[in-house]
Amino acid sequence: MNNQRGKVAFVGIGEVPTGRYPETAAIYHAIESAKLAIRDAGINKEEIDYVMPTASLYSPAFNTELVTCRIVEELGLKNCKKNCQVFSGGSSSSNALTLASGLIESGAAKNVLFVHSDRLGTGVNLQEGIDLFSTAGISSEWEVHFGQHYSSIAALATTRYKYETGCTDEEFSAVCVSNRKWAELNPNAFFNKKGLTIEEVMASKMLSTPLRAKQSNMLFDGGAAFILSSAERARDMTDTPVYILGEGGIVTHFVYSQEPDISRFGWKKAGKEAFEQAGLTPQDIDIAEIYDSYPIYQIIGLEELGFCGRGEAGKLFLNGDTFPGGKLPCTTNGGMLSQGHTGAGGAVALLVESVRQLMGKADKRQVEGAKYAVETATGGTYMDAQVTVLGNEIP
Amino acid sequence: MDTPQKPIPVVNPWAKPFWEATKQEKLVFQKCSDCQKNIFYPRIACPECFSDNLEWVEASGKGIIYSYTVVESNSPTAFLADMPYVVAIIKLEEGIQMLSNVIDCDPYKLTCDMPVEVVFEKLNDEFTLPKFRPV
Repeated sequence: MNNQRGKVAFVGIGEVPTGRYPETAAIYHAIESAKLAIRDAGINKEEIDYVMPTASLYSPAFNTELVTCRIVEELGLKNCKKNCQVFSGGSSSSNALTLASGLIESGAAKNVLFVHSDRLGTGVNLQEGIDLFSTAGISSEWEVHFGQHYSSIAALATTRYKYETGCTDEEFSAVCVSNRKWAELNPNAFFNKKGLTIEEVMASKMLSTPLRAKQSNMLFDGGAAFILSSAERARDMTDTPVYILGEGGIVTHFVYSQEPDISRFGWKKAGKEAFEQAGLTPQDIDIAEIYDSYPIYQIIGLEELGFCGRGEAGKLFLNGDTFPGGKLPCTTNGGMLSQGHTGAGGAVALLVESVRQLMGKADKRQVEGAKYAVETATGGTYMDAQVTVLGNEIP
Repeated sequence: MDTPQKPIPVVNPWAKPFWEATKQEKLVFQKCSDCQKNIFYPRIACPECFSDNLEWVEASGKGIIYSYTVVESNSPTAFLADMPYVVAIIKLEEGIQMLSNVIDCDPYKLTCDMPVEVVFEKLNDEFTLPKFRPV
């Protein structure tokens, strides 16, 4: 038994549609998301006493505004004691969750507002985006000069995983199809107008072998926010609190080529810790919100967390088990592959989606009767494995 | 489009012997004198036992391709003219691993676990990069 389990809960979530908004300032995505989260929680904004913005990558000047309390002033939060940025790339949401939980459990904070916003869809052009992501988090001493970038990083993991398991290009492509089916039901997803077939994925441009263009995320503008409180207060605030049941994490590398196992990473260890803390097993989980960014990571994630055996996840996607109506709903907002990649926001969106599902607010893509969800996040060059187990009841 | 200059390694003082060696077409790595662990990339202290007693030893230059990819499009700007090029993680005989390029080969005939050997490619007067080719 872990006595931390179920002590902290989500009380509100907010999100703006992911897309390209050249006329819209990044601060809008932050403030609108935060406003929606406060209204969703049904609390007076003056009850927020701690604001935790994560970083925006498109502009150091805008990020400095986030650091220097712009969100607090724009929202007019009069009782906000502290504003402090929490950032670890793609795993920022998981780290914020851990830190905010500690603050709430210790009594140092009551209601913590976490906010993400970025403008990578219109704030930088495609080549600038590629160049940004060929240096951000990639070692300037040991990797940048070999032409390493995020597509080649995902491709290296894909090549090794294929070699060890025999996973096929069709199976990798089925991950993209699965995410698109969910995105079609998600008004906040960029790619929600049109389906996607395995044939279309496999006919798309080769980026870094065997990774193709439609197996790659695209960068967009967007924002999302959530509010955490103690479970006790949460039950007074809302009829639909979503409890943090377990968390697990492990940092595995900084320099990508130093990762000892690029076809597994640290998910097994992090998952075991999170499930043990929650007192649950993968069999108890109704929804697997697995961090994507590229198909390989969703496949590795499902396997290493114990939802299926090594080399079997591809078939779950190919058979449609992960689709809407399937027996293992996976990445139900469409993920970064179909909702869109907003920088540190990829996993924020997944976490917000997990909470939305467990609150019963996921509308057309609602997984009926869902009680428990697992959510994963990783930052940098898949430098860490962060796993969170959530529930709308405490087991 | 103007091709920007190739990025050059940003070198820390304690890693200088590595880059001085590659200029002499030698591949070296650190070895911990206390726990005997082979270490790459160069560290300030042994990442295994935390000892400061690190020595430099020469690698055989032989290893295998742990994984690889052929970059065909959407490379960083400085590498657009190089496409298609191979990015690979090499596992050396000594148990250390590093990123590199595999050159002097048909990129579409490479496989994981294929044996390779080091070959040195001059980047400029300051830097020579260790690259690999199939044996």
